Amino acid sequence: MAVKIDIANPSGRALISGRWLAVLGIALLAVFPLAVRDSYWIHLMILSMMWAALATSWNLLCGYAGIFNMGQQAFFGLGAYVSALLAMNVGVSPWLGIWIGGAAAAAVSLVIAVPTLRLRAAPYVAIATLGFAEVSRIVAQNLVDVTRGEMGLNGIPGMPAITLGGLTINFYARPPYYYLMLILFVVILLVVYKLIHSPFGMALKSIRESPDAAASLGVNIVRFKIVVFAISAAMAGVVGAFYAHYIQVLTPSSVLALPLMVEIIAITLIGGLGTIIGPVIGAFVLTIGLEYLRFLGDYRMLLYGLVLVPLIMFTPEGLVKRVLPKRLTS
Amino acid sequence: MIIQLIEQILNGLVLGSIYALVASGLSLIWGSMKMLNFAHGELYMLGGFATYYAMTLLGLPWWLAIPLAMALVLLVGFGIEKLTIEPLLRRPGWDYTPIIATLGLSIFLQNAALLVFGERFKNLPYFIEGSGTYFGIRMAYQRLLILVVSVAVIVLFAQFLQRSKLGMALRAVAQDRDAATLQGIDVRGTYMWTFGISGALAALASAMVAPIFAINPWMGGTLLIKAFVVCVVGGLGDLRGAILGGILLGTAESLAVVLLSSEWKDVVSFAILIIVLWVRPSGFFGTKEW
Repeated sequence: MAVKIDIANPSGRALISGRWLAVLGIALLAVFPLAVRDSYWIHLMILSMMWAALATSWNLLCGYAGIFNMGQQAFFGLGAYVSALLAMNVGVSPWLGIWIGGAAAAAVSLVIAVPTLRLRAAPYVAIATLGFAEVSRIVAQNLVDVTRGEMGLNGIPGMPAITLGGLTINFYARPPYYYLMLILFVVILLVVYKLIHSPFGMALKSIRESPDAAASLGVNIVRFKIVVFAISAAMAGVVGAFYAHYIQVLTPSSVLALPLMVEIIAITLIGGLGTIIGPVIGAFVLTIGLEYLRFLGDYRMLLYGLVLVPLIMFTPEGLVKRVLPKRLTS
Repeated sequence: MIIQLIEQILNGLVLGSIYALVASGLSLIWGSMKMLNFAHGELYMLGGFATYYAMTLLGLPWWLAIPLAMALVLLVGFGIEKLTIEPLLRRPGWDYTPIIATLGLSIFLQNAALLVFGERFKNLPYFIEGSGTYFGIRMAYQRLLILVVSVAVIVLFAQFLQRSKLGMALRAVAQDRDAATLQGIDVRGTYMWTFGISGALAALASAMVAPIFAINPWMGGTLLIKAFVVCVVGGLGDLRGAILGGILLGTAESLAVVLLSSEWKDVVSFAILIIVLWVRPSGFFGTKEW
């Protein structure tokens, strides 16, 4: 993955080359299924893009807005469950359900955002969002009539065929899912990129750097935070809904529990917090890297824990930022 | 029904005193270091295993095994603070770096415990067998013991913070780190003690409930989130808040078991959290609006 958008580098040249590299990266991703026809590799790439999109939505909060959300998995899981249940019980098409899942996640995020984002200290936000995510997991586990609890939802319908310009696309194999995920992935990255380079993003940055100064300049801190929280939740919800219709099995402990949050944090930290490219590289490295570490089996979480501590101690800005810029600038 | 309710309230007090022990350590750390310790639950878990092995392998009686476990966890706390927290002090992003570092540690310790101790739940016999009936209300001696020991330790702990030299240093650092340094207080050493002592309190809590709840590698996880909720409800950084919050949450959960069902009791405590955040974000005793 050679995509590189170094937003931390203010010089124009780096930005232009970053843009070209981004285009190159997307082009490479677009031809990947044609070049590599191995279905397993396509699956790995879908997962990588999915985690990259999810981690990007979290990075928008933690890396840019300074909101330490510990419950992003709740919005991912909510989007997944809403879209899956709508498709299974009401017969809503997943093409619509994906967006309803995102909207539902955004709506529910307000319940937690409105009371907690008034508080400034990161720990309050962390505890409240963590507690909220635990509630959603417990609810999903206990509402056995609706969600089948820990037995999980099976047989979630996949994406139905669509006809675009006379061409019918069937979602029987992985490549169509690949391109759908690629579109979602690029759109989410673009939205985050545009967002942080807009006046809105500047306001967010000023809030993170100095909340008092921002408030004195007339930035409505709380409203900005709530809006960005809802946007992030919507993104996580849409990605979650995609997950539901792609994997087609959901259990509370796989999509609503803390290990997923840990994975998001690990991905973002490996790549670099507060950079566009960070979560993308982190996701590809971790998803594909872990395939080669399959033999570790149950030790996977042990490894996560072991990696997180030195990462935050020695390179909180991420491995990528450490290694890449030197090569790129020279 | 009335008897059953009173029994549940008493059980709630027992549970609440455990929450209070665990939460006061977290609150102490927040008070002086302004950080959340996500590995606190694993110190609790290690305390349980240490007590278990001290009693089964070494054959010690409970009143010797528990202090030994507390001392052991105190040392582990020292080590964690020295190796992972202290280097972070010099770096930017203090509001989230310790969260991630201790979260990583927590996952590591949990999985390491799974490897070393195995996934079989471990049980200890009641420290004191039997139960008494007072005014028609039955209560196991073990639960009474938990209540007595926790209350005694919390009172001692408050006295220690109030009167001892180290306790005063802890409070001074909590109030103003720079001013404390100017007064010649060893801030780093104080941080180390803060971490160690809070771990020892968690170890005590864990040991006391070991005969009631089984010891297992995951026991710290759920408890930690509860203890955080207790801290916020009571007011982060305030010892009285941790105690009152613990009792409130313990009682509410015990009542929820009778009035609703045991599956929904956890939702009750989180609902209390959300309500407190809406109505009074600083908690019962938190003076500062964060």
